Amino acid sequence: MHRNSSPLGFLPTRLLLAASSALWAACGTAPTAPAPVALPTTELTELAVNVVTADLSRPDPDAAFWRDVAPGLVSLIAQPVTAPRPEITTTSSIYVQAVHDASTVAFRLQWADTELSEAGHLGEFSDAVAMEFPMVGDKLPSVMMGAKDDPVHIFHWRAQYQRDAERGKPEIKDLYPNASVDMYPMDFKDAPSGGKDDKEAFNPGIAIGNPQSYSKTGVDEIIAEGFSTSSVEEGHGAAGRGVWKDGMWSVVITRPMVIDGGSTLAVGRPNSLSFAVWQGGKDEVASRKCIHMAWLPLKVL
Amino acid sequence: MPNVENWHLKRDVAYPYEGHRPARQWAIVFDLNKCIACQTCTLACKTTWTSGKGQEYMFWNNVETKPWGGFPLAWDLRILEKLGRQDWAANGEYLGKTLIEAAPPTERVLHFAPKDEDWMYPNIGEDDCGGGTLDSGAHLDSLPHDKWFFYLPRTCAHCTYPACLAACPRKAIYKRPEDGIVLIDQSRCKGYGECVRACPYKKSMYNPWTRTSEKCIGCYPAVEQGIQPQCVVNCIGKIRVMGFISPPAVARADNPVDFLVHEKQLALPYYPQLGLEPNIYYIPPIHADPQYLEQMFGPRVHEAVARYKELHKDPEAAGLLCLIGGTERIIHRFTVKAGIAVGYDEKDEEILRVPVTETPFERAAFDEKLGAVRNNNP
Repeated sequence: MHRNSSPLGFLPTRLLLAASSALWAACGTAPTAPAPVALPTTELTELAVNVVTADLSRPDPDAAFWRDVAPGLVSLIAQPVTAPRPEITTTSSIYVQAVHDASTVAFRLQWADTELSEAGHLGEFSDAVAMEFPMVGDKLPSVMMGAKDDPVHIFHWRAQYQRDAERGKPEIKDLYPNASVDMYPMDFKDAPSGGKDDKEAFNPGIAIGNPQSYSKTGVDEIIAEGFSTSSVEEGHGAAGRGVWKDGMWSVVITRPMVIDGGSTLAVGRPNSLSFAVWQGGKDEVASRKCIHMAWLPLKVL
Repeated sequence: MPNVENWHLKRDVAYPYEGHRPARQWAIVFDLNKCIACQTCTLACKTTWTSGKGQEYMFWNNVETKPWGGFPLAWDLRILEKLGRQDWAANGEYLGKTLIEAAPPTERVLHFAPKDEDWMYPNIGEDDCGGGTLDSGAHLDSLPHDKWFFYLPRTCAHCTYPACLAACPRKAIYKRPEDGIVLIDQSRCKGYGECVRACPYKKSMYNPWTRTSEKCIGCYPAVEQGIQPQCVVNCIGKIRVMGFISPPAVARADNPVDFLVHEKQLALPYYPQLGLEPNIYYIPPIHADPQYLEQMFGPRVHEAVARYKELHKDPEAAGLLCLIGGTERIIHRFTVKAGIAVGYDEKDEEILRVPVTETPFERAAFDEKLGAVRNNNP
């Protein structure tokens, strides 16, 4: 199925109506009718991963080949099991496409979000999306982040992490330009022992090696065995890049087909995956998220 | 959900985890009649613990003016408003709901989430009076005062039932079994900010540089060596004492904290109705509005104020107040005999000895040797 590559194509009808009304008001002339698109309206039952001849080494939401891949609709609901959880479903569907080149699998994930949220300021949270895969054997673990001895392998992309990669991890002056700071410990030129370690001793999370405290590249690889157990692991080359445009996130996450000690995909072998989306602007973080409540079968062709 | 015993409220309260009281519980008692908001405590804490990147705005210890001040902005009013009615029975039992009990099904703790602007005015309301406005000068010639304010120094309360710990989805927050100090494991925290939302006293703070949440650590490295926290030992007004508080049934009258809280019932927890059994205790200000004080300290506040006014008749209490601020070391036991107050450490070795009434020394107004009139300088 061929479809228009405009991200507007995935917008829910009510957003399209709002956008066209605004345009109408602004221009004072009849708005151009939106280009017809083939929006999937029925739930995807199996995600087919077709082979492409393309460079998948760099995740690219605007790559031409995505036009030739049919998107599938995957429904989400507010995480219903553990508190804290959202009161309402903020993201009701995610549109999924996937391709592979025998060694790398690329997923394009798109969902409507009316505002871009990169976190940074106090009390702000980031837009994010995650895919999870079962880790071992044919038995499917709990879709709720796995279970003890039944781990899941998660690829977690955040707009905040992408900002780190593209514009550097923000300091207080980047977040609050008018902030006044005299100096930081060991950060003055005559400090007798102002080495990196001495400075980092004043940044507890960094000093103790918490992966959360370092500059990110875009995608965290996480192993989890149930709620509250997620643990960021050494990466295996997964990458991600997202573009937010016209109220729509379009994020590509690439991962190696084979990950020793992690989840592995193979041509012809049945596998599964599931999804979660966070809208930072709605204060969603951690268990405050919208999720797909089941494993979606995945078939690498 | 388990029920745990909360002696502040004289009843069991709901809490997500079983109750395990620590071997002993870190606690600070503050005499609010003495605090002058010099902020020496604030700076002692700031220079010791929060001078790094991402901690620029943090004050693990702060002093705010009541009724108008609050760091973050209106932290107390906003959670009290959410909680609704907070009634007490005549016998001192709390009849309302705690933050855990009042949480909607989607949340672990009833809370409000502060935004960045809420943290931007640590001194808002400083020295602003409650009690309305006046067209001309006031005459404060009776207690309580018509126009009033008081200073409220605050650290983390290292609650017996911490809301931050209850709310953390990663179980990254723990309460030390040896001294009850509540810590955020900096290697496990992922900066979700659930503790920042949940702590009603707003003493968990998010570090945007390390992307973890941080909080007052009770100066545990000092406490482990028998030394009181920085905010206590640097208090120039000598208004505070750190020690270990016992539950009422096993309180010891010769333990300074137990003496002030249990024996004399002078010091009270603040906002006990939130249900967390906070472990910082306040001797209430005797001049402030009684209704306001009741909201903050519960119905026992009126008796505490009355007792404080009679304190000068109590040689034992007067002796203890002389010991407070006289040593860096944690006083585990004290005695007052024959006008001498003595403090002892954990090994029951004497660490300080002071007269309850200092011997007056009179000097002639005129110094014959220098041929000069003396003033009060030493």
